[in-house]
Amino acid sequence: MQFDFSALIGGLLDWVIGALFWIWGFLTWPFLWEGPFDIFAWFGGLLDWILGALLWIWWIIKWWIIWILDILNGTWALVMIPENFMFLFRAIVFPGLIFVLLALIFTVWYTRKIWARLQDRRGPMHMGKYGGLQLFADAIKLMSKEIIIPDKAKRWMYRILPSLLLVIVMLPFAFIPWDPYWNILGSPTSPFPDLSVSLVLVFAILTAVPVLSLLIGWVSGSKYSLIGGFRAANNQFAAEIPMVISSVGPAMLAGSLSLYSIVLAQTNIWYIVLLPINFITFFVAAIASVGTFPFDAPVADSEIIFGWRTELSGIYFTVVYFAEFAEQMLYSALMVTLFLGGFNGLPFLAGIANFVIKWLVVFFLFIVVTSSFYRLRQDQVVNLCWKYLLPLSILNVVLVMFALVYIPGLVPLVIGG
Amino acid sequence: MSPDILDESSVIWFGPQHVSAHGWAAKLTIVGDYIVECDPNAGYFHRSAEKCLEFRNFRQGSMILERICMMEAFLAEYPYIAAVEKIVDLEIPERAKIMRTIMMEFNRIHSLQFWWGQFAGELGLFVMLLWPWVDREYSLDAFEELTGSRHTVSYATPGGVKYDFTPKFLAKMEKALTRVKDRMPVFEDMLSGSPTFRLRTEGVAHYTAKQALKWGLSGPNIKACGIPMDLRKDDPDPNLAYDMIDWEVPVINNEEHPGESDAFDRLLQRFKEIETSLDIIDKLLPLLPEGPIIDPKARSKANRLPEGEGYGRVEGTRGITTVWLKTMEKAQTPWRAKIRGPCFASYYALKHIVPGARFADFPAIFGSLDPYPGWWDR
Repeated sequence: MQFDFSALIGGLLDWVIGALFWIWGFLTWPFLWEGPFDIFAWFGGLLDWILGALLWIWWIIKWWIIWILDILNGTWALVMIPENFMFLFRAIVFPGLIFVLLALIFTVWYTRKIWARLQDRRGPMHMGKYGGLQLFADAIKLMSKEIIIPDKAKRWMYRILPSLLLVIVMLPFAFIPWDPYWNILGSPTSPFPDLSVSLVLVFAILTAVPVLSLLIGWVSGSKYSLIGGFRAANNQFAAEIPMVISSVGPAMLAGSLSLYSIVLAQTNIWYIVLLPINFITFFVAAIASVGTFPFDAPVADSEIIFGWRTELSGIYFTVVYFAEFAEQMLYSALMVTLFLGGFNGLPFLAGIANFVIKWLVVFFLFIVVTSSFYRLRQDQVVNLCWKYLLPLSILNVVLVMFALVYIPGLVPLVIGG
Repeated sequence: MSPDILDESSVIWFGPQHVSAHGWAAKLTIVGDYIVECDPNAGYFHRSAEKCLEFRNFRQGSMILERICMMEAFLAEYPYIAAVEKIVDLEIPERAKIMRTIMMEFNRIHSLQFWWGQFAGELGLFVMLLWPWVDREYSLDAFEELTGSRHTVSYATPGGVKYDFTPKFLAKMEKALTRVKDRMPVFEDMLSGSPTFRLRTEGVAHYTAKQALKWGLSGPNIKACGIPMDLRKDDPDPNLAYDMIDWEVPVINNEEHPGESDAFDRLLQRFKEIETSLDIIDKLLPLLPEGPIIDPKARSKANRLPEGEGYGRVEGTRGITTVWLKTMEKAQTPWRAKIRGPCFASYYALKHIVPGARFADFPAIFGSLDPYPGWWDR
């Protein structure tokens, strides 16, 4: 049922005219009516008018309900088309949102446990088996906390930016080829094949992260946050350029910018064997880009309390905390994709199992590195990124270029079967 | 510093609610990433310890001192005991002297272990924050075995010490010290051997011996400049056992900049302090004679003191710690007590050291000077 605008206006006009007539009658009764004022007759007119208004409102509600049901019907019809259903299932359940969220929860537990082991502690122990439920407890605690927004904060921005950060960090997971079949955008037979530029797109989406860190620091209305925000932006701009250039090597070997094709090209040999230095530059730049130890000058607790996250409280802090871990997970997944052969591996395991095993190994490396060095000063971080990582990664691109041209037999090896 | 630079400056309070400033507040004026002015503020930790001392008798007073600096509790309480022993004539048994000295050095090791962790934590390595603190637990266990208290040991009393060494305590102390010795190479790797640590500390918080003397720094902060200024050697307390053995004052003299020190030198200096303390304990333990641990008349003698002035001082972990007492005739409590902590000087030295440093170096600077707010606020 289509919405009939003229019918709506017509009803409105009827009602207005009726009301006007009634008012006219009320105003003119001393002159027109015979005898004394009849209050019952007057109330009768009022009731008619209220009933008319109610009927008109009911008509609007009825039209609205029918409209929503129509939309739901149409959506359901679209969803029940098999390709669409499979896509939605992948995007939402596996390996999409819910899988990534569960992996995130596991990752936080994993990180905390390994950190604790390295620090001669035990880590979370009491909630659930081996502290497995600790993160749920933490999340409930953080969500039930009072949200304190500083007076000088820009309230609207303060409320919206942390969620936006999490959304932007979660988006690139759509392009990760988890499995030959079970991925969101990727399997060539599905109606939603991988984009031919998904590698570039991942980095394009991630460029918004430093802007958001800076903005969160800025709108918090605190000097510590502002300094932290600028440091975060500085840090990530310095680190993302070597990281992007380090990812050029695998793309050139595979001859494609699609992450799925890069993984398919690694059936013969994993690129970490050919490009170990490239892997290291990507790894260091990834840690610097996340802004965790030892590149955590943006959130250095002994200098600027908690950097750009200082003024975040309750759910906003939780969201930003998750975003940091999601970013680490994303970079680990990218490293598995670009250098460690993605879902290629043990043939008797499912592709996703191969992927997750490698992912955990890379994440373990992440954690070990992040807990072995002292915090670098901001100028030292930038110095490292621009003076060492960037020339190394560019050199590597040049080497790959010459190798592809001059080494016979390299191309069939790296193109994959 | 031209005035137009200061137009772009902003003021940041480092404390008193700052997570890294536990009980103090420095007002920093910042231009860009550089600190141009540092204004240390005292008074956030004041608990009128000097006044409290006037209401405690001479066996209780030392317990107020302990609570000023928990990390070096025994070193903090001892100057009071020494001051009391100057006023009243007490005979300290040989055994008690050696036991006091051993306990003093043991406490110094414990305090430096704490400092390692704190300094590394301020520089952002949480692993190194917790590793020394795990080792510290062994020292605390030993303290608990001896005195029943983990931090505030209250071990010395006018005339001797309160508790005798038991075999169990000796075993626990042996365990703790062995652990320290075993882990020293690991910590040297993790601190002075770490490239990122050198990046953060070398050339940071640089001052000369002359400046240090002018500011009144003492302890490791001045010994790191190459000046062997150590009360244990210069003015050995007759009631301690430092003159019974042969030992070297720990001094770092950096060949690259002799007579000066930076944060890295002060780390090396504190490593050396631990080595010296271990050495002193090793040499003193065999000398431990049998006998009483306290002057038998100590209780009656320390109950009421004659009129007089006493001045006790000791080389603490952070520098020279002194207590001055003035008593009237038949005094049960001091008429006036004055405490001179080692950290007031090192805290206000920030005013001269910090300007010109990067903001991110501020934790490295104050961490290397090791100021403890209890000492300047009392």
